[in-house]
Amino acid sequence: MPVYDWQTRTPAEDIEYDVDVLFGAWPSHPADTDLATVRERLTTAGIRRALVISTRGALFDAAAGNTETLAAEAEDLIPVGTVDLRDAVGVGERLDELVAAGVRCLRLFTVQQGVQQPTPAYLHVVEEACTRGMVLLQDGDPRRFGQALAGRGAEVIFLDLHVYLLTDFLLMARDEPGFRATSRMLSSPDGIERVVETVGAHHLVFGSRTPFVDISPQTLRLRYARITDDDRALIAGGNVQALLEKVA
Amino acid sequence: MRIIDVHGHWGPWPYHLDGGDVALNVELMDRYGIDLQLVSSAEAVVYDAVAGNAALAEVLIDEPRLYGYAVVNPNRLDRSADDLRDCLSTGRFLGAKIHTTYPGVPVGSPLMAAAFDMLDEVGVPLLLHTWGADVALLPGMLEKRPRLKVIAGHAGGDAWREAAKAAASCDRLYLEHCRTVTDYGRIAYAREAGVPIEQFLFGTDSTLIDPCISLGVIRDAGFTPRELQRVLELNAAELFGL
Repeated sequence: MPVYDWQTRTPAEDIEYDVDVLFGAWPSHPADTDLATVRERLTTAGIRRALVISTRGALFDAAAGNTETLAAEAEDLIPVGTVDLRDAVGVGERLDELVAAGVRCLRLFTVQQGVQQPTPAYLHVVEEACTRGMVLLQDGDPRRFGQALAGRGAEVIFLDLHVYLLTDFLLMARDEPGFRATSRMLSSPDGIERVVETVGAHHLVFGSRTPFVDISPQTLRLRYARITDDDRALIAGGNVQALLEKVA
Repeated sequence: MRIIDVHGHWGPWPYHLDGGDVALNVELMDRYGIDLQLVSSAEAVVYDAVAGNAALAEVLIDEPRLYGYAVVNPNRLDRSADDLRDCLSTGRFLGAKIHTTYPGVPVGSPLMAAAFDMLDEVGVPLLLHTWGADVALLPGMLEKRPRLKVIAGHAGGDAWREAAKAAASCDRLYLEHCRTVTDYGRIAYAREAGVPIEQFLFGTDSTLIDPCISLGVIRDAGFTPRELQRVLELNAAELFGL
């Protein structure tokens, strides 16, 4: 029998959209996670829909990865495309193909592809993606890439905002209505609250990084955040729903 | 069942976050049912060990649910050793804390070895900030110091696999998994590597990190009720005599 409230999930932990979900091989981990296992983990955690991408595209073969991702499309799984930042010549055609296939979100893997700052290839991909109205799922340090993404009217979700970098994100988000971040690493007792109070809940979304990270820590932080139920609903999915409708 | 948090902090941090007032420690403990918390001073960790420990000593007088770690700076070991003994003499400090990053002293440094010698002599548990593969050095360092028990704070950080292997080979090395990035499967991996349930401790990094982060890791670990009590309470109670 549970003794403490936190031991039992409540509806305040339900997630409508998770923007950071992957499946496939990951050689630096002890084991790989297939799509069925990922899906099971999401269901167990009360996550209804996910923006999902194959790891193949991140690590090895963008085109083949996109094919795998598109094959995974389902009512609860929204495919996210990618391009390799080390192979960006002619990227416009590949983005056209993704858009034609219904893909509206493009995930960049700067960490895995060794892009430590906005390179010519990175800037080219960003320009081409923004021209097509795609949502950018941006990994890495927001301080390194935020300024290159600013001033474009870009729709961006920063996937790796650490609470230590919160001040930089808030300063950027103040001027960029399209800048959002996931709450995954806003682990302090007031991290989510500070975003909501400073720039508004519409700048936060939920992104768990399943299957690489435990989910309960993130849903518990959202549940216990001292914000309104309306703001919690925006972060848990309302913002992503609106964004997907906007770029549809 | 009580919950004992073996990795807490008191005082402000130089980031854009709240956390300076001890009232927040207590508020968060109440919210999640944490009974006791062992804390170190943020000032002592980041800036001035002796001054931070002294400030914490004043706070502990009025907070019976908090106990202290005296932060030891291996760069100034003689002064820190005297300060540690002074702190312990108050009865409100139960162990020592060493950070590796802020003083710039990695686990494998001769300065750390000297600090371990001192702590082996004093005979109190050490909460050591571990972040990287050098956590693997700890079993060898403990073999030469039979009285010393070390909590691997953050369980090695990114090097949680190395930390698990280390703890499996040394029964005086404990794993404590608090961290913002809660990599999936760390506890399961450690258990499969052979770490006994008696060597897992519960820590939060509160108030730098909300305790629900570590509690979520515990929830996802799927402990049995008996194991849960071991991890949340009994292991810490036995280690610190609480």
